[in-house]
Amino acid sequence: MLLELRNVVAGYDGGDVLKGVNLPVLEGSITCIVGPNGAGKSTVLRAVSGLLRPRVGEILFEGRNIAGMSPRHVLELGIAQVPQNHSLFNDMTVRENVRLGAFLLNDHAQVNRALAYVEDLFPIVRERAHDKAGSLSGGQQRLVEFARCLMLNPKLILLDEPSMGLDPRTLKAVFDTISVMHASGRTILLVEQNVKTGLGAASHGVVMESGRVRLIGTSGEILHHPEIGRLYLGGALAGA
Amino acid sequence: MSLILDAVITGILTGGVYALMASGLTLVFGVMDIINIAQGALVILGAYLSFVLQQQFHLDLFLGLVITLPAMFILGVIIYVLFIRPLKHDRTMLSILVTFAIALIIEGVLTIVFHTNTRQIQSPYVTQSFQIGDFYLSYIYVFGFLLSAVLLGALYLLLYRTKFGQGLRASMQNRTAAELIGINVDRVSAYTFGIGVALAAAGGMAFGATTAFVPGSHYDLISRLLAIIVFAGMGSLGGALIAAEAMLIVENVTAVVWSPVWSSTVFFVLLVAILILRPQGLLGKLEGRKQ
Repeated sequence: MLLELRNVVAGYDGGDVLKGVNLPVLEGSITCIVGPNGAGKSTVLRAVSGLLRPRVGEILFEGRNIAGMSPRHVLELGIAQVPQNHSLFNDMTVRENVRLGAFLLNDHAQVNRALAYVEDLFPIVRERAHDKAGSLSGGQQRLVEFARCLMLNPKLILLDEPSMGLDPRTLKAVFDTISVMHASGRTILLVEQNVKTGLGAASHGVVMESGRVRLIGTSGEILHHPEIGRLYLGGALAGA
Repeated sequence: MSLILDAVITGILTGGVYALMASGLTLVFGVMDIINIAQGALVILGAYLSFVLQQQFHLDLFLGLVITLPAMFILGVIIYVLFIRPLKHDRTMLSILVTFAIALIIEGVLTIVFHTNTRQIQSPYVTQSFQIGDFYLSYIYVFGFLLSAVLLGALYLLLYRTKFGQGLRASMQNRTAAELIGINVDRVSAYTFGIGVALAAAGGMAFGATTAFVPGSHYDLISRLLAIIVFAGMGSLGGALIAAEAMLIVENVTAVVWSPVWSSTVFFVLLVAILILRPQGLLGKLEGRKQ
């Protein structure tokens, strides 16, 4: 197991959002967390990436407890996050943005090698290298964000609602890219509102509700679970 | 006509010093959403430090900066750690109150130490001038402008040619994204506050050499610096340079062609006009910085 959350309790000033989350992420998997608004899906990612310090519980990455570590330290260990809202630095060029993904590296040759690698994987990085990131469309920005998060060759990539605000065609391109990143050996933990798209691309699924994990299984098991529709219509999972 | 030209030249030279003082203010706002009301008091503190070094130790004004710049940088980092970092919510609003309190503390300490007697830094630069054509220019105005140009140039290089600058610019645009790529935003903020205060020290030396000051001079100064960065667009360094020059040129020319009484008023009318046409200021952006 690459990542495991054990009884994680975390939240903001208004109170706990995660109320004892237990969640495994298998190495080499695409694990998709689904659930209604306010279930705590994005909070899970924030707790893992270090943006939010859990009040209770452990977050084990390769067997090491990373709960409460700074985002920088978590990144050094091999976990990169692409947040929900567009996170490019709009006044910088596409290339500057992508190079910033290797901010922790001091070896220029290493940075250039990483840049060449992501430029091959994401041609838009080379094609629009000198354009301001703010001039790209939403889908293009998403791809550049993916490229940036690969600069440190992470083992685990956290994606927070990558489909947000994208039209169906761009959505497909973005999810194709997620498959490419997965095929290149990364484990992916994905949060998605778009249940069918998210679970369709994933190997494993997790259903969250009210700050707790309600269901864990393969994505097929989750997609065909009889209660899943009811959950999204506002009801709770029976017997969970 | 020569009077107007003289006013414009003086405005350009003193505008550079105001740009230096305002750049610290706008830089801090850009990175932290902090409105540092204490910037004016820190400028006055810088003026007093230069005054003491010159009066007590007969140190050259510009050489004294070798001491005051690092000292004020450290003071800035300490202020950040003690008073700014603890502000977790409503940072912008609370920062106004907290930094106003810091300004009052600085004013109080300066009043105890130096009393309320009017001071002005004395030096050969201040009293001597040279002639270009029909104009006599005081050395301190020219050297103050050159100092501002050098420090603003160094600030530009720091922002656009160094890794720290990259981190600082990234933090200005999107704090969360900056953290997620490994930038220690808290450290960047502390150093940025220190740089802002160090710039106040340099500005204070030039201000104190060209203007008589007392501990309470910061009230007028901060209102002018705030007007500059609002005119410029909050967080815009280039805008601060243009706005500072515009302020001082407009004020000087108004004083010559109309009356010194109306010099500030004309600038503020111009400020209101700009804000009606561009609410975000000259080079500011309507979209706020992402958290």
